[in-house]
Amino acid sequence: MNAAQQEELFNAALEIENIFERNAMLDRTCAGNPELRKRIDELLAAIESADGFFSDCVSEVSVAKLIPDAAKPEVPRAVYARELAGSQIGGYRIQQEIGEGGCGIVYLAEQERPVRRQVALKVIKLGMDTRSVIARFEAEQQVLALMDHPNIARVLDAGTTESGRPYFVMELVRGDKLTNYCDRNRLDIRQRLKLFIQVCQAIQHAHQKGIIHRDIKPSNILVTVHDGIPVPKVIDFGIAKAVEGRLTDQTMFTPYEHFIGTPAYMSPEQAELNGFDVDTRSDIYSLGVLLYELLTGKTPFDRKELTKSGWEEMRRTLRERDPLPPSARLNALAGDELSRIATDRKIDPSRLQSLLSGDLDWIVMKALEKDRCRRYETALSLASDVKNFLENQPVSASPPSRIYRLQKLVRRNRVLFAAGAMVITALVACSIVSTWLFLKEREARRLVEAAEQQKRTLQKEAVHLNRLRQAAEDQRRLAEALALANLGKHEEADQLVSQIGTHFATSDHEVMYRTLGDMHALNGRWQEAAERFAVLIQINHQNSMESTLDDTRYATTLVELGRLAEYERFRQSLVARYAGTDNPITAERIVKACLIRPANAGFMRALRRYVDVSEKSLQVGHEVDRSMASWRAYSLAVMRYREGNFRAALEWCERSQDLEPGLQSKIVSVQLVLALAYARLGDFDRARAEAIEPRRTIEETFQNGIQNLSRWEGFWFDWMFARNHLRELETVLSQTRPAGS
Amino acid sequence: MSSSDVTLVLEAVKRGEKQASEELLPLVYEKLRTLAEIRMSRESPDHTLQPTALVHEAWVRLVNDGSRSWDNRSHFFAAAAEAMRRILIERARRKARMRHGGGKERLNVDDIDIAQALPDEKILLVDEALQHFSKEHPEAARVVVLKVFGGLTNEEIVEITGTSDRTVRRQWNFAKAWLFNSIRRQW
Repeated sequence: MNAAQQEELFNAALEIENIFERNAMLDRTCAGNPELRKRIDELLAAIESADGFFSDCVSEVSVAKLIPDAAKPEVPRAVYARELAGSQIGGYRIQQEIGEGGCGIVYLAEQERPVRRQVALKVIKLGMDTRSVIARFEAEQQVLALMDHPNIARVLDAGTTESGRPYFVMELVRGDKLTNYCDRNRLDIRQRLKLFIQVCQAIQHAHQKGIIHRDIKPSNILVTVHDGIPVPKVIDFGIAKAVEGRLTDQTMFTPYEHFIGTPAYMSPEQAELNGFDVDTRSDIYSLGVLLYELLTGKTPFDRKELTKSGWEEMRRTLRERDPLPPSARLNALAGDELSRIATDRKIDPSRLQSLLSGDLDWIVMKALEKDRCRRYETALSLASDVKNFLENQPVSASPPSRIYRLQKLVRRNRVLFAAGAMVITALVACSIVSTWLFLKEREARRLVEAAEQQKRTLQKEAVHLNRLRQAAEDQRRLAEALALANLGKHEEADQLVSQIGTHFATSDHEVMYRTLGDMHALNGRWQEAAERFAVLIQINHQNSMESTLDDTRYATTLVELGRLAEYERFRQSLVARYAGTDNPITAERIVKACLIRPANAGFMRALRRYVDVSEKSLQVGHEVDRSMASWRAYSLAVMRYREGNFRAALEWCERSQDLEPGLQSKIVSVQLVLALAYARLGDFDRARAEAIEPRRTIEETFQNGIQNLSRWEGFWFDWMFARNHLRELETVLSQTRPAGS
Repeated sequence: MSSSDVTLVLEAVKRGEKQASEELLPLVYEKLRTLAEIRMSRESPDHTLQPTALVHEAWVRLVNDGSRSWDNRSHFFAAAAEAMRRILIERARRKARMRHGGGKERLNVDDIDIAQALPDEKILLVDEALQHFSKEHPEAARVVVLKVFGGLTNEEIVEITGTSDRTVRRQWNFAKAWLFNSIRRQW
């Protein structure tokens, strides 16, 4: 379904006040597209509640007030000065200035304690707010400490200079920036590719720890020579993050020095206005630019061209324009420039071109895909394709197909191709997946940070070294699991999680355990699901977090496994735990989770409180969302049924149906409780009739696999409720059949 | 200094005049600080972030976020709205965490009854839904940020987006319905 089409149709419908005319218009427009119609109806139905909901959301404080109208306030002095040799910053003595980049000046400095050594000290040109930069860095440092790779220069420390600017201390790397090194030493293509593979491996290592570099470019990769062998080292890890995102952007424009750098290495998504949606695949893009430059001596888009026509234009270029493949780019160069580039690579111009065309072109272009779903998934897969090329093996990258080119054309001309909604649907689907991945990754990163935080606390408290080691190991595994989850590798993450004790799980691991538990549940691996959910429940308890949805997950799983004694204990604990609640949603969920199985009279009495809360909320005069009210009525029907008050159960079922049919799982559940009540009242024919439809739906749903239900179709456990009702009904009907016939 | 002066300064920034941005910073900085104070003073007293710190944060974001090169007033407002969004989200998260950790006032995360949600909780819900929304409807999502977080009027938004008043109203209506629907489904 085309997003723009939806928006258009919604507004068109909204403007037709007469409901009949409106429906007629929708009938016409949505003919043959019931899904679109359903979606539009849903949105139209939401508009009134939405107005109420947003009425106090709009800020009264307007940023328009930022435009000053009063007298000119005092102007603070810009704080930007150079450090002098011999001066002291923190525990470091400045020896000399060794470089200047977009975001700061780098000094050679000497550390005196705990060991005497030389380090690189980078002072950030920020001017203001050092504190938050440092705070962000400190949060990051715990993660950075996880990185240990020969091709990564470590970030050792951070602090504030006397003049109030943040600084970072890094392992000192004496070397040349990657591209310079290659040209100066006239490395051939093969040698360049080998260095590039090492860079990819370093980035891969970082990604596995959940760290994104965000600013990969030749000047952040220095080549040192050890025993005659060149070793590339990636520097500045974590700094881009600490100074809030994109140094590259800052390089482009800072308050003090305008347009000094270039965003030539920036991925399209990094260049977007809401640039926080950046994940590991952004680094893959930058690696692609790097490879492009190593091969051709040029970046895919000319630096000057890119910045010359302003930010908007630059974003458009990055987003929409396809760069020339490397071989074609060389072809477009003037003869003398081409021969200089070829000479730097110890090869004839014509041979260079033919060497690049084919595999290398495709590898580079795959890394440079605008759509990150189409790039290499990991730095490692990029590296192995390069390796395949070196070993004359087939590469995974391939020239774009004609359909794909058409898709890109459509994407560039959305309006023109509005009619080709089918193609666009595919693209939209991809962007939803990538949003989801991004959210996952962000979560995983937060979890890694939290895990490290906890490790620090543990280290303070631990008395026994061994226990500490074990703890650290488990923490490391937990962190690794999170990094894997961040790469979307849930099965692998789950394997690690299954090996470690539960006592480290904190509220920060909540999401992962829920995700993994759901994954198992959806695939019918109930044993594993129960284990994950048990940890989840423990986490919620420890943190006084009340999540009745999680309780429902666990309750459903226990019943599914037939662990009924445990279920009995669990539901007892639930009733006690939420005893004080006056929240009808909580009450409703508790009733549902507690009554998956019949209960004794004592337990039913204990549940009364919750029923009262639910019932009260449905009394006249209380504003309740119809969909929520319908769920509530269903839970009350279940309650009455379990109490043996079948007539009342029927009434609640009907009331639920009247309120709002809602999700398929609820429709089916309500019908089945209705059927159960009829059966208990002795009307077996009616019960059988009511059960036909839901039985078919449930069988179909489970046959197709509940993992294939979309998120819009409700929670998986809603379907488990339905199936449990069905099972119960079949039992009742089979027992009564002899008597009835 | 009047609004048009700011525009002049912004134009100078666009031309790449070094001092121009320096001139603008303190002006806007002061104002942003005041705004944050107003906003904070209306909040419950359990906030942990001092207004000054808040503004410092927002400021660093504004200034150092190169993606918002200030080539005109509109960009600047868009950037400021985004900065406000981040401040408010961070605060709301912090407060939510405190509530959960503190144990005094327990909050059932599933049970934020949307009809009674506190503004803080609402803001988190809206922002989360907004992340999904912006993927499919970037233009309308922009209007949401400008309105909800930037507190801008339709007129001001028209100026920023360069569209018509009707378009902004339509985008806002659609966004409200979409977001509310998404929030109600708890996804």
